[in-house]
Amino acid sequence: MARVLVVEDDVQTAAEIAAALGDSGFDVDCAHTGREGLLKAGADRYEAIVLDRMLPGGVDGLAVLSTLRTVGIEAPVLILSALSAVDERVRGLRAGGDDYLTKPFEFLELTARIEVLVRRQAIPQRETMLRVGDLELDLLSREVRRAGRPVELLPREYHLLEYLMRQPNQVVTRTMLFEEVWGYHYDERTNVIDVHIGKLRRKLDEGGLPTLIYTVRSSGYVLRAAE
Amino acid sequence: MSSVRLSDLRRTTSFRLALLFLALFGAASLTLFGFLYWQTAGYLKSGTDEWLAREIRSLVAASPSQLIEHLQEHAAHDPGANRPFALFDAAGNKVEGNLANLPTSSLPSDRPFEFSLNRGGEAVPFRGLARRLPSGDIVLVSQNVWEMHEFRELLLGAMAWGGLLVLIMGLAGAAAIGAGSVRRIDEVTGAIERIVKGNLAGRLPTRGTAGDLDRLVEVVNGMLDDIERLMHEVKGVSDAVAHDLRTPLTRLLAGLERAGRRAASVDEYAAAVDEAIGETKAVLSTFGAMLRISEVEDGARRAGFKTLDLAAIAADVTEFYQPLAEAKGVSFSLKDESGGSARIAGDPSLLFEAIGNLVDNAIKFTPSEGRVTVRVFCENARLGIIVADTGPGIPAEEREAVLRRFYRAERSRNTSGSGLGLSLVAAVTRLHGLDLVIEDARPGCSVTLRGERDSTWPNLAAAERTVLAKL
Repeated sequence: MARVLVVEDDVQTAAEIAAALGDSGFDVDCAHTGREGLLKAGADRYEAIVLDRMLPGGVDGLAVLSTLRTVGIEAPVLILSALSAVDERVRGLRAGGDDYLTKPFEFLELTARIEVLVRRQAIPQRETMLRVGDLELDLLSREVRRAGRPVELLPREYHLLEYLMRQPNQVVTRTMLFEEVWGYHYDERTNVIDVHIGKLRRKLDEGGLPTLIYTVRSSGYVLRAAE
Repeated sequence: MSSVRLSDLRRTTSFRLALLFLALFGAASLTLFGFLYWQTAGYLKSGTDEWLAREIRSLVAASPSQLIEHLQEHAAHDPGANRPFALFDAAGNKVEGNLANLPTSSLPSDRPFEFSLNRGGEAVPFRGLARRLPSGDIVLVSQNVWEMHEFRELLLGAMAWGGLLVLIMGLAGAAAIGAGSVRRIDEVTGAIERIVKGNLAGRLPTRGTAGDLDRLVEVVNGMLDDIERLMHEVKGVSDAVAHDLRTPLTRLLAGLERAGRRAASVDEYAAAVDEAIGETKAVLSTFGAMLRISEVEDGARRAGFKTLDLAAIAADVTEFYQPLAEAKGVSFSLKDESGGSARIAGDPSLLFEAIGNLVDNAIKFTPSEGRVTVRVFCENARLGIIVADTGPGIPAEEREAVLRRFYRAERSRNTSGSGLGLSLVAAVTRLHGLDLVIEDARPGCSVTLRGERDSTWPNLAAAERTVLAKL
């Protein structure tokens, strides 16, 4: 079971984050100050760290992050922040953060992102062929096959499918897709991504095949092999 | 003028300026008068002195007996003794002449001097010249200089009165000017106080002249117009915020209370929780949109600007919204007429969001079989992007209002959205120094964002530019 450290000064928020991650199958430890967070991260091995940007007691989130990176702890870090400005995001990522989430956030968004971070280090990204059930994606020839039948995709649909196939059986939120596939950062609130997913889904499921892309609680998707 | 207090007057700039000019003018006049007086008096005195010297020379040149004769003759011609001549012996007793005794005990020799004689109970001024003869006798000639004195006094009097008159007129003028400006300042101060107390419609009084104070007042009034508009906007926004947040919060509260009252099964509770989550998300979304607009308007994001290709972003937006248009049966296309040179300094995510908002609106309001076009142009130094649709268009009188926060046109009252989309577009447009123009596309509506080209962009091949724009 993957272990996650949550460094967050508000006790109730920390407990909520721990509960949400616990429900998703993570083993969670909490720290409420930067100092405590550093001690715990140094003493144990964690697969991911959720770090609040603003912490009381002299050592704030970015200081914790740069100290961790200096002493060689490479666990992926997701920064939580009440500061939404883009330059804050850039500063957080530059200090060594792997992802950035603005408060208030949906817990689905948090757990989905943590899962991606944990998975990313577990799987070497060397393969040339992605497979989920009867769906195949050739990273070299850029060909997609469903049950042996070739599927014609537009470049953006190909990117979308590739990202989903790299995180099989994992929830991926609309925001994550938008950031990853389109490369722009803002809180996309329209349902346009649903329309893109719908098109992709229709192309993959053509001929009455069971669907591979499932909608999760109106804000995310998961790609998994048909049962 | 009764309303103007003296203490106020003393402090006014114009009164002080008037006093300063009065003092300068007074000093100049005093110098001029002094010089005139000195010249005139000197001229009169030297005339008398020359005559006295001439007379005494002719008397001294004569023999003693002739001298006596001369004096007797002179006395006969001068019965009023206005020009008394006399000869005194060494002891100071009169020998001959029409002057009773020596006017002073110590006579300056050969130097004109002044003395006074009692004539009818009045002291009359005389100017005299005396010479001691080798025999020890003293010859004295003199002249009544009452007229000369009188003239000098008259001159001094005229100057004093004139000066006094100038002083009074100057003071009165300074007071009048000062009082005028005090009244003017009082009017302006009063108007400002009324505005501060809350009468935002109030303006500073002008006199319709092109004077310096009027020019200042006009500028301030312009500023007050802006403040009034902003205050109204803020009030409108607060009202709209109150409405847009209160409505979902009321529904949230009502839903939760209903669940607490009625829900019997787990499923009913779960439905209530889902409803509550939905409402909370709506609140957060409105809240987030407002914060984003202020963040954009704040201008801090300019620090992260980089040079980018407007056409590349337009292409991404078109590609992103294409399926939505297809699903609605609206034909949607991009016309890139910029030749890859529509480069500006900007924030790609904000521009994507702004253009996306325009496209989203256009698709939303265009009926199926309609058409939405995105056109990127670049002519000489001007560049821009036009989003045009064949929808119902925006009536001319609503075109400015739609940019306001939370404004929703009648036709869109029942569609989803926070009413913040176009205000965000307006804020992003301003941040990038572009102009936003809403026009009638006959039929439909066209929104243009246009501005100046960023000339710092190096002249690269189109392929390299695309790569750079995506960095």
